[in-house]
Amino acid sequence: MSIRIETKNLSVSFGEAKAIDGISMRIFANKVTAVIGPSGCGKSTFIRCLNRMNEIVGKAKTSGEALLDGQNIYSEDFDVVELRRRVGMIFQKPNPFPKSIFDNVAYGPRIHGTHDQESLRRIVETNLKKAVLWEEVSDRLNKSAMDLSGGQQQRLCIARALAVEPEVILMDEPCSALDPIATAKIESLIRTLSQEYTVIIVTHNMQQASRVADYTTFLYLGKLVEFGQTKDVFENPKSEITEKYITGEFG
Amino acid sequence: MSRILDAGLEELSLLLHKMGELTYEAVSLSLGSCIEGRGSHKQVHELSDAVVSLSDKVESKTFELIARYQPVASDLRTIKSYMKISNDFSRYGRYAFDVSYICERLGGLCNCEEWVQKYIEEMSEKVLGMVRLSIDALRNHDHNLAKTISESERQVDQMYLTYIDKIVELSHTTNKCTVSSILVIRYLERIADHATYICESVVYLVTGEKVSLG
Repeated sequence: MSIRIETKNLSVSFGEAKAIDGISMRIFANKVTAVIGPSGCGKSTFIRCLNRMNEIVGKAKTSGEALLDGQNIYSEDFDVVELRRRVGMIFQKPNPFPKSIFDNVAYGPRIHGTHDQESLRRIVETNLKKAVLWEEVSDRLNKSAMDLSGGQQQRLCIARALAVEPEVILMDEPCSALDPIATAKIESLIRTLSQEYTVIIVTHNMQQASRVADYTTFLYLGKLVEFGQTKDVFENPKSEITEKYITGEFG
Repeated sequence: MSRILDAGLEELSLLLHKMGELTYEAVSLSLGSCIEGRGSHKQVHELSDAVVSLSDKVESKTFELIARYQPVASDLRTIKSYMKISNDFSRYGRYAFDVSYICERLGGLCNCEEWVQKYIEEMSEKVLGMVRLSIDALRNHDHNLAKTISESERQVDQMYLTYIDKIVELSHTTNKCTVSSILVIRYLERIADHATYICESVVYLVTGEKVSLG
């Protein structure tokens, strides 16, 4: 199994407070890795390190290494724009642009220099199909994305992320604002996407982690407590803290 | 603070303890009466039916707990082990039923030669000891006690094979006695196997370790 991302002693502080503390972990290519842990344990901070989103927050200070295909994304010569193309992100709340469905998906390719209408049309169709949304919107591509349901908006955001041909997709609680039907569609989509992409998902929902993830990592107080195959973590966790968290004794 | 799931696990645990005691009674009664030539089939049948009924309740409860609470880690191992143990207890009941049935149909072992009676009496004591051990290990979630069953399992297996060899060698034994004693001894060996499986489940339940104690 090839390693897509590897972190080495990765830490992030916001001012005096350490949000994550010395995380060393390997993320395998074309697998879904779930990051679980109680609120404030550093889950979101951790995945935001992987495309340097924390830098947007002024006080964030990062140390250690995060390697993408062996290259340290925190080295001075690493192109951040290229990094964010290669490592896309889906957020908790669907955040489509107030534009048409077509323009949402075409937005990234246009920024990266694709302006030919036929190429854009192909990109939009391909990625709406990958996000399993094409059938529902193909006859109204010029309608506002804001008119879609929450679940459709989230799949549109996934299509938008896919349109710039990323290698890794980070998902920060992508279903927390969705109903069970929309959640099931996103979960099924995550499994399909893992054939082509490496997916890292932060979730508070233990059952979601156990359903979609090949690997699961448990963070607690900013530290990595346990990492392993999802089956092992949920059937026979090695750490007592993991056991207590996933069985609902605390959290 | 206790979790909602805890009440369900407690209920399952009580059902299993009840099953354990009923099966012990069934096995003990059927073996004792078979050796002494007393009829007990009706009573054993009733006990065995009660065990099956409890097993249905365990199955229904485990499915409810899985569907409603999606248990993981030690909770999941507990439920998985309880389902398996419930099946093993049902098998205790079934073999007790078979022993009492065969002894009622062919006559008790009191009609057999003295050495046969003594042999089966000794094996019965060992097997009953294993049944008790499995029930106690489960009640106390005692994986260390569970692991001690290996030696008895080995001895019972050896007694079973030795008996088969002997009975073949001694052709003067009456037919009825040969048939009933072989069947009883076979059931005893199977009961011992299930006692061992229960102990393996107890070890898995407590430690997550999958062991073979047989």
